[in-house]
Amino acid sequence: MKQGAIFLVAALLLAALPVLDSPFVQSMALTCLMYAGLAVSWSMFSGPTRYLSLATSAFFGLGAYCTAWGLAKLPWPLVIMAGGLAAMLFALLIGLVVLKLRGAYFAVITYGLGELVKHSITHVEKTYAGTVGRVMTETPSSNVVYWTVLIIALLAVFTYVHFGRSRYGHALRGIGMDEERAATLGVNPMRVKLLGFCLSAWFAGALGAAMAVRWTYIEPNTVFNPFIVFQTVLISMVGGPLTVGGPLIGALVFSLLSEFLRLSLPYLYMILLGLLLIVSVLYLPEGIAGHDWRALWARFGRKRFGREP
Amino acid sequence: MHPLPRRLALQAALAIAGLLALPGFAVAQEPTIKVGYTQSRSGPFAPGAQTTQEPNYLLWAEQVNAAGGLNVQGKKRKIELVGVDDRSDMETIVRSYEKFMTTDKVDIVLPPWGTGANFAVAPVANKHGYPLVAPTALSQKLVDMKLPYYFVTLQQPKPMMQALVDMLAANGVKTVAVSYMDDLFGLENIGALEPLLKDKGIQVLDKKSYPLGVKDLSTMLKGMKAANPDAFIGITYPPDNFLITGQAKEIGFAPKIFYTAVGTAFPIYRERMGKASEGVMGMGSWNPKMSKVAKTYFDAHVALNKKEPDRWASAHAWAALEIIQQTVEKVGLDRKAMRDHIAKTEFDTVLGKMKFNGTEEVGVPGMVGQWQNGEFEIVWPPARATAKAVVPKVWN
Amino acid sequence: MNFYLFIDLVVAGLVTGGIYAVVALGLNLQYGLMRIMNIAHGEFLMLGAYLTYTMVKLTGLSPLWFIPPMMVALFLLGLLLHRLIFRRLAATSPTIEAMESRSLIVGFGLMFIAQNAAQLTWGGGMSGQPYLDEAVKFGEVTVAANRLLVLVVVAAASLALVLVLKKTLLGKAVRGMLQAPLGAMLVGIDTRRLHPACFGLGLALAGLAGGLLSMVYELTPAMGEPYTISALIVITLGGLGNIPGAIAGAVLLGLVETFGMYYTSPSLKILISYGVLVGVLLLRPKGLFAR
Repeated sequence: MKQGAIFLVAALLLAALPVLDSPFVQSMALTCLMYAGLAVSWSMFSGPTRYLSLATSAFFGLGAYCTAWGLAKLPWPLVIMAGGLAAMLFALLIGLVVLKLRGAYFAVITYGLGELVKHSITHVEKTYAGTVGRVMTETPSSNVVYWTVLIIALLAVFTYVHFGRSRYGHALRGIGMDEERAATLGVNPMRVKLLGFCLSAWFAGALGAAMAVRWTYIEPNTVFNPFIVFQTVLISMVGGPLTVGGPLIGALVFSLLSEFLRLSLPYLYMILLGLLLIVSVLYLPEGIAGHDWRALWARFGRKRFGREP
Repeated sequence: MHPLPRRLALQAALAIAGLLALPGFAVAQEPTIKVGYTQSRSGPFAPGAQTTQEPNYLLWAEQVNAAGGLNVQGKKRKIELVGVDDRSDMETIVRSYEKFMTTDKVDIVLPPWGTGANFAVAPVANKHGYPLVAPTALSQKLVDMKLPYYFVTLQQPKPMMQALVDMLAANGVKTVAVSYMDDLFGLENIGALEPLLKDKGIQVLDKKSYPLGVKDLSTMLKGMKAANPDAFIGITYPPDNFLITGQAKEIGFAPKIFYTAVGTAFPIYRERMGKASEGVMGMGSWNPKMSKVAKTYFDAHVALNKKEPDRWASAHAWAALEIIQQTVEKVGLDRKAMRDHIAKTEFDTVLGKMKFNGTEEVGVPGMVGQWQNGEFEIVWPPARATAKAVVPKVWN
Repeated sequence: MNFYLFIDLVVAGLVTGGIYAVVALGLNLQYGLMRIMNIAHGEFLMLGAYLTYTMVKLTGLSPLWFIPPMMVALFLLGLLLHRLIFRRLAATSPTIEAMESRSLIVGFGLMFIAQNAAQLTWGGGMSGQPYLDEAVKFGEVTVAANRLLVLVVVAAASLALVLVLKKTLLGKAVRGMLQAPLGAMLVGIDTRRLHPACFGLGLALAGLAGGLLSMVYELTPAMGEPYTISALIVITLGGLGNIPGAIAGAVLLGLVETFGMYYTSPSLKILISYGVLVGVLLLRPKGLFAR
């Protein structure tokens, strides 16, 4: 209940951010929200199942291309829906096949399929539309984009929590622990995995659709950028994909770090990021949020107050 | 020449410039003119940006400040460059320019490097009413967006390809093989090139595309060698043109005319390719032999940056800065007045007279250059030529 | 297609495949033995290329002189990395899957560090020092001398590795571990020594490929990434942990890419390689040569 209240207040404050009229703060918040949404949606599936999906860039890029194709023809909310649906459809198609694989095979092939989509789109655009990049002329205002991304991110958080508590959420966690056993206990692993995979894809696609208009001009190399999936996975893993707070903390930490270090010391920032990752994987295997800080705190509290806090 | 010391020096200079920019360090009496820009010092755009664009920005600030500053309505004000490494990343580019224009409220913004980056920044500049004069953007689509605050000094695909095809026809070329990069630049140029070739009755024997970051094109070149065309046309970027030239030599593909588009006019191309660069043609606009002002610019560039400017877009970058400078000295820093002045005035630049028709610059024609004895000579059109084309190219 | 062009393309495919083989062998050892999904593998190729290039620039000697010491340096770096990171990672990972995904993240970290350190040291511009880039003619077939050299060296290296694995006791131990890690330990194979050595060997092989590539291509801090991807495709084709399978997969991929590019266009290269990958994974999920 308390968490819900904090969440609501934070959401309202974020929604009111455009009042500040500071495009810079707002664009920072936008990036943070985008990664928060991507990381939460990634964790929705990959957290409980431990299937390491690297398809986020593909979902994101497909969403972005939907915007490029549909922006002039459809109203804005439908554009976003369509972007999400395209990603979902793609997830369904590849999911039928790749969800049979596990471990490194799964990671490699989801990444490979992302690249495959990128190059297919390049090829199709070139052959049939005679272009590679797409220019968007009539774009919604930056406030609309901001609110859209905020809503998608909030929806992702909401879905994460409720999906996690549902029958399917439990089934996904069961699959993550022991797939064969889950199957013997009456779970249809394929169907549950597909559902989780597609659900998580919708958010990545919708975020891609919303963010596309920020760049005016999109081309496969920008919207299918592998850095998007790298960053998403890192945020989730460092934050801890097993609780919704993890990816959120991760996104906040990364955005702030990147904002203050990246422009002034770009290479050192990336080197630091690398070190941070390695250290966190070694010493915080369940992420910042998943780490048992309470035990640490309890130990500290006992010393100090002589009782459990 | 090892690139390290130069880059370090550059970064140190920028860091010091940044330090001086902190409040409390400013000692000049008149407030400085803040000039914001991003350039790629890393990532795939870096080789281009660091050859054609950022060295010119540094040279400009240096020259103007050495002369006491820019003359703004009778007052000399020094230039303070606020340059950011955009790492060739679109989001960083957009965000940095938003910051320049809204939070920092700089006086002038200078454009980033490359067509894609310009696509991203042009609408932002237009929205906030900052005039932007871009040297490195090549796309009819960008021109067609008709953004009132956006200007491009570089020749666009149509005039560039027209010059190429006229030159080919004048040299009796009947057949060509074409290779182009899979991006907007490649497609727009090939789109302009094909109908022009058809008009002149030049036959395309082979046409292949390749992706960004390609590592090996020997297979493609072997196929082209087997087709045996009179001329090879590569709609290329660096470092692909290095790759294509090197591999053509390796496999013994030796057409009469060998044309690679962007990056051929880079001095590093001549250095790296050595003798193989002799006779290679490419996109170019000028060389220090062209005029006295060109020679002065060339010498100043070498003196400050310890490297030669490239023989194409560098001069367009310099011309863009000359246009900004002349505009500020005429109408001050009012951005609306600057835009109007740029839109309607004919400027005297290092490349001769320049004048804008909407976004596009129309004073400087499309040209073809060719490496001859270590200089990139302009060989087409005849009116601008500094030497006659050497055909066929000598392949050792 | 005439006969000479065909031979030309076969040679080109073998050169590409040979480089893939060397890169993939290292990755396959690391993955097969230790479940280290080293996504930064290509970064060590990049380091090898830059180190060789720097030494050539400094001394003006042939790059071949510097490849062996550079490989030793990378081997030592591998030992160090294993000691600092992967030993603990293996000890604290509850399951194989946890090890795989955590090593993947470590790999991202190493990749960021290596690429940006290279950026700081050598800059983002183009560097490269073509070596032996003259054409060699065998009748109608022309091959660049440096490519021929690359082909010879990678073939020798792959063959040597296969022989070591087949004939020596050490090799038998490694193969034992590849097939049955637990069994190997039970029969007394010392994994505490072999694991770091194999990890180091992986880096040295990547370095070898990088050193050779520095004679042929332009260097950039991000040059390693595509090779990591190709190596992943190759070991998927050949079967994870299967050494001869990886070599065969590499040659196959090199040839398919080369002929595919000839018949279509270099733009479609990645489409072709991933098409092969997806096809194989769908039809033979354990690799082409799985029994």
